[in-house]
Amino acid sequence: MTAKGSGHHLKGPGNRNGSGAQRRNALARRIARSIFSLVVAVLAGGFVAAALVRYSPGFEIDENSWNPQISASTEAAIHARREYENELPRFYVRYVAAALHGDLGESDAFRVPVTDLLRERAGVTGWLIFWGVAGGMLLGGWLAWLAVWPRRPGFEASAVTVSGLLLAIPPAVLALGFFFTGAPLGLAVALAILPRVFGTMRALWRDLYGSGALLAARARGISAAALAWRYVLAPAAGRLIALVGVALVTAFGVLIPIEALCDVPGIGQLAWKAAISRDLPLLCGLALIITLAVALVAAIGELAENSQRPA
Amino acid sequence: MRAARSGFYSGLGALRQTAAVWILAAICIVALFGPALAPFSYDRQFRDSPAAPPGGRFLLGTDEIGRDRLSRLLYATRTSLLLAPAAAAVSVGLALLLSVPLATGRAGNFNPVRSVLSVLTTVCLALPWIFLFIILRAELPLDTGPMVSILITFALMGAAGWAWPARVFSASISNMERSGWMLQARASGISRWRIALVHCWPHLRAVAIAQFLVLVPAYILAEASLGLLGLGVAEPLPSWGNLLRDLQHPDLIRANPWILMPLVLLVIVMICLEALQSQAVPAGEID
Repeated sequence: MTAKGSGHHLKGPGNRNGSGAQRRNALARRIARSIFSLVVAVLAGGFVAAALVRYSPGFEIDENSWNPQISASTEAAIHARREYENELPRFYVRYVAAALHGDLGESDAFRVPVTDLLRERAGVTGWLIFWGVAGGMLLGGWLAWLAVWPRRPGFEASAVTVSGLLLAIPPAVLALGFFFTGAPLGLAVALAILPRVFGTMRALWRDLYGSGALLAARARGISAAALAWRYVLAPAAGRLIALVGVALVTAFGVLIPIEALCDVPGIGQLAWKAAISRDLPLLCGLALIITLAVALVAAIGELAENSQRPA
Repeated sequence: MRAARSGFYSGLGALRQTAAVWILAAICIVALFGPALAPFSYDRQFRDSPAAPPGGRFLLGTDEIGRDRLSRLLYATRTSLLLAPAAAAVSVGLALLLSVPLATGRAGNFNPVRSVLSVLTTVCLALPWIFLFIILRAELPLDTGPMVSILITFALMGAAGWAWPARVFSASISNMERSGWMLQARASGISRWRIALVHCWPHLRAVAIAQFLVLVPAYILAEASLGLLGLGVAEPLPSWGNLLRDLQHPDLIRANPWILMPLVLLVIVMICLEALQSQAVPAGEID
């Protein structure tokens, strides 16, 4: 209470530099906290995935060691590798140390370095995620705008119905429909993301389109495009970036069944194959990469959102 | 004119919600009494009529190995509609339990339990649900019995989906902790238990119901995705997820469009749940 009160008294031209320095310090603290949280989340994400696989029933047994055709030295190597992976903390510390040098280990199932697998498949998944997130945000934003701006209950009801219908269809089924008809899968991902961002965007547009500043500008005859840019998109940038983080998590989740069912050689299909074959190095690598990507976007979104808030 | 139109649409919204309640109630009753209503057992094979079209004996035809599709749909509806709310209840219960240590304690003071829970929440929110489900489900033997696989699938969903509601609950608890009425209640010497049960719980209950309504359709969809990937409920027990596996064969859909019935039913249930959810959860808080 006191701080707030004194803050009001301190407002003035003479104190602007001080408040600017305070804001810069606060921002630096926020960035440092975000980086720390990001590192902890990524390390914990990889560890959770590794622990889940390591303590699954039957992990200690390697089926390859039952092969009667392998030599004694190969069998010894398999046992040594399994013993190394069985000691989870030691395995994970060494894994992370190697990962820092760009080595994510070798996949048990594919017998190929994990980084090579990820590099081969990143392009396909990257494009699908790009089109899915961009398309989902644009279509969701447009549908939300249609629900709010024209102020016609019929438009709003139609937009809500379209979003509800898309939410009701499992994304994998939607993608199968697109796959069999030869339609672009990126659009299926976009349509799966649309209803998951629509509600937030509708609430956001409603707040901003109802603001006094926008109504005054509208009364002054400013064009709809200028209104949308100055009074809606610019103030909403932080929250929209945060929403991209949500869309990104959704896209990853949606892509796993889509790529697995539609036989798309991407990272989603790789995640499914890694889980099925209990491929510890590959799962750890995927968990690290996915957590890093999602947590990074979430952190950027949070910082952008916070930086737009009044001090 | 505009007011009349607005009234018409708000009336339409109320009608939509009433219709959703009645349709859901009807489907739930059919699902509850599914085994009694089903003409045959879900695993009974009619080897003389595989892939039969709908007719007098089999109202929705039979699948490739001669099992009655209608009976399987009735059993599947029971499985999916009873267990998704159970899993959602587990998630909400877990989230309520974990949100108390997440929200309480002074900011800035190091609290190991809160720090660990906070990191776990961040990890669970950063890793896509389906990725966690797949890892968890794939770790368990794939040849488990049908009943065990049902319990495993929905228990895993319940256990893995606590993070989002926990974050919502902890935000609510933090807001309450900072509120004036809480300060007044403490200053009046009211015990912590009484504050929690009499003053905080009514607020949290509304949030818990809203989170429950958000999670039920999410789990129905998650089970459908897991079932499509072959990691959901094990055959021969049917669920909406494993019935949807037929959709992977477009020729089969063209020849037998009635195999889309599970999808139609799932979409109807999801739309009804969404109508109920929009009443309980303000727009913008669903995602």
